Amino acid sequence: MAFMPQLSRLPATRYSRSVAQVGAAEVELLEALREGQESAFTALVEEYHASIVRVARTYVSNRATAEEVAQETWLAVLNGLDRFEGRASLKTWIFRILANIAQTRAQRDSRSLPFSSLGDESSEPAVDPERFAPAGERWAGHWKSYPERWDTLPEERLVGDETRSRIEGAIERLPSIQRQVITLRDIEGWSAEEVCSALELSETNQRVLLHRARSKVRQALEAYLAQDYEC
Amino acid sequence: MLISEDLTCQELVELVTEYLEGTLRPKDRDRFEQHVVLCDGCAYYLDQMRTMIALTDSLTEESITPEARESLLHVFREWKGG
Amino acid sequence: MVRAYKCLRPGRIGPFSGYRWPVGVWVEGGGNAALCLRGIHACRTEDLPYWLTQELWEIELDDDVRREHRKLVANRGRIERRIEAWTRASAAGFAEGCAARTEQRAMQARGEQAGRLAELAADAAANAAKGEAALLGFIAARAAELDSGTEGYADERRAQANWLASELGLEAA
Repeated sequence: MAFMPQLSRLPATRYSRSVAQVGAAEVELLEALREGQESAFTALVEEYHASIVRVARTYVSNRATAEEVAQETWLAVLNGLDRFEGRASLKTWIFRILANIAQTRAQRDSRSLPFSSLGDESSEPAVDPERFAPAGERWAGHWKSYPERWDTLPEERLVGDETRSRIEGAIERLPSIQRQVITLRDIEGWSAEEVCSALELSETNQRVLLHRARSKVRQALEAYLAQDYEC
Repeated sequence: MLISEDLTCQELVELVTEYLEGTLRPKDRDRFEQHVVLCDGCAYYLDQMRTMIALTDSLTEESITPEARESLLHVFREWKGG
Repeated sequence: MVRAYKCLRPGRIGPFSGYRWPVGVWVEGGGNAALCLRGIHACRTEDLPYWLTQELWEIELDDDVRREHRKLVANRGRIERRIEAWTRASAAGFAEGCAARTEQRAMQARGEQAGRLAELAADAAANAAKGEAALLGFIAARAAELDSGTEGYADERRAQANWLASELGLEAA
């Protein structure tokens, strides 16, 4: 029977932090930043920059643009320091600034439409219905043939660069709102609560979007891993 | 599992996200797990989903490039000076 | 502190979490997505037939032990002792008993259910040799339900749990 492979090189699953107001350590950091301490800025950048670029990428079409959006975001953060009251968490606040800048930029570059509304998406099954026995048969709704076991694959296959880029590619091809949800939840490790708050989604909507996104990415990964391994 | 509690594989794959989120009601969670115990196909599917999520999580390994850090320090110093 | 049982896959792997359980170490549930999503799960003897896997362990549960549908849930758990008597052979014995009862129901069945019970008996026969304990338990219970409704189902499950308790020296169901 299947079990989760003990992938030694993957980091342990992160604890998701719940939505909080700005914490004590962050208050200190912000103070230091307001006083112009470069070390405080460096600390903040080390913490958030990579994430900001990744999230920017879910709005704009290429990495260079994402880096530009990230820079603009940092400048806006610095200019907005005096106005930040700490009622939202620092992360949420930075994200809102980022979202504004990224959306504006995306629209300007006319890459993608604003968040596609849930209503536009027709129902998408998580798995192609062809994979299951049709109605009327004794085993209607059951797998015609089982999905592959990934726990018996050599680890290099799973954690390699190619696999990684397949996942990134699959995420990039998602509708923008699904891309944003899966990026924030599964790459950035935000909690469901945080994502609902940041993207203004109901709990149910967030879950449906996550479900659709994950299903598509799994399909893409499955298609890739099913290929014969070329030596 | 009683007949009334039966779950097909096709139904199960639509519940995977709720299961992993912990939002299924206890009875539905029970039906889900009962089915996984009995069905290798769905056990493999659940495993695939978990593996995919763990691999996605690992996409965070990249950190800020030296060029970006330099560039941002420049931004900071300008902001400070201005 | 409550003593209960934990069904794991070979190598002490959780069947739903994929987590490899350490022996003799307290494990916390809740908050870590790699483990049981809301707490540590375990079974009483009466729940075992639903969850049987290859390895059976005794588990101590601590801190807010709650009874949920067909399982116990707690915030902490520690596995210590493997039930050595639960082997491939005893799983096969369990499966054979389930298959035999299913076969008997099929033979005695009349009317509407006869066809379905015959199918189940065939399924049981096909899988009994593989020692798929949980599957055979399910087939036998399904046959009992078709035959004598939810009461029959409950009786069959109770019989399964009693067999396990007696055969493996577990706490009475």
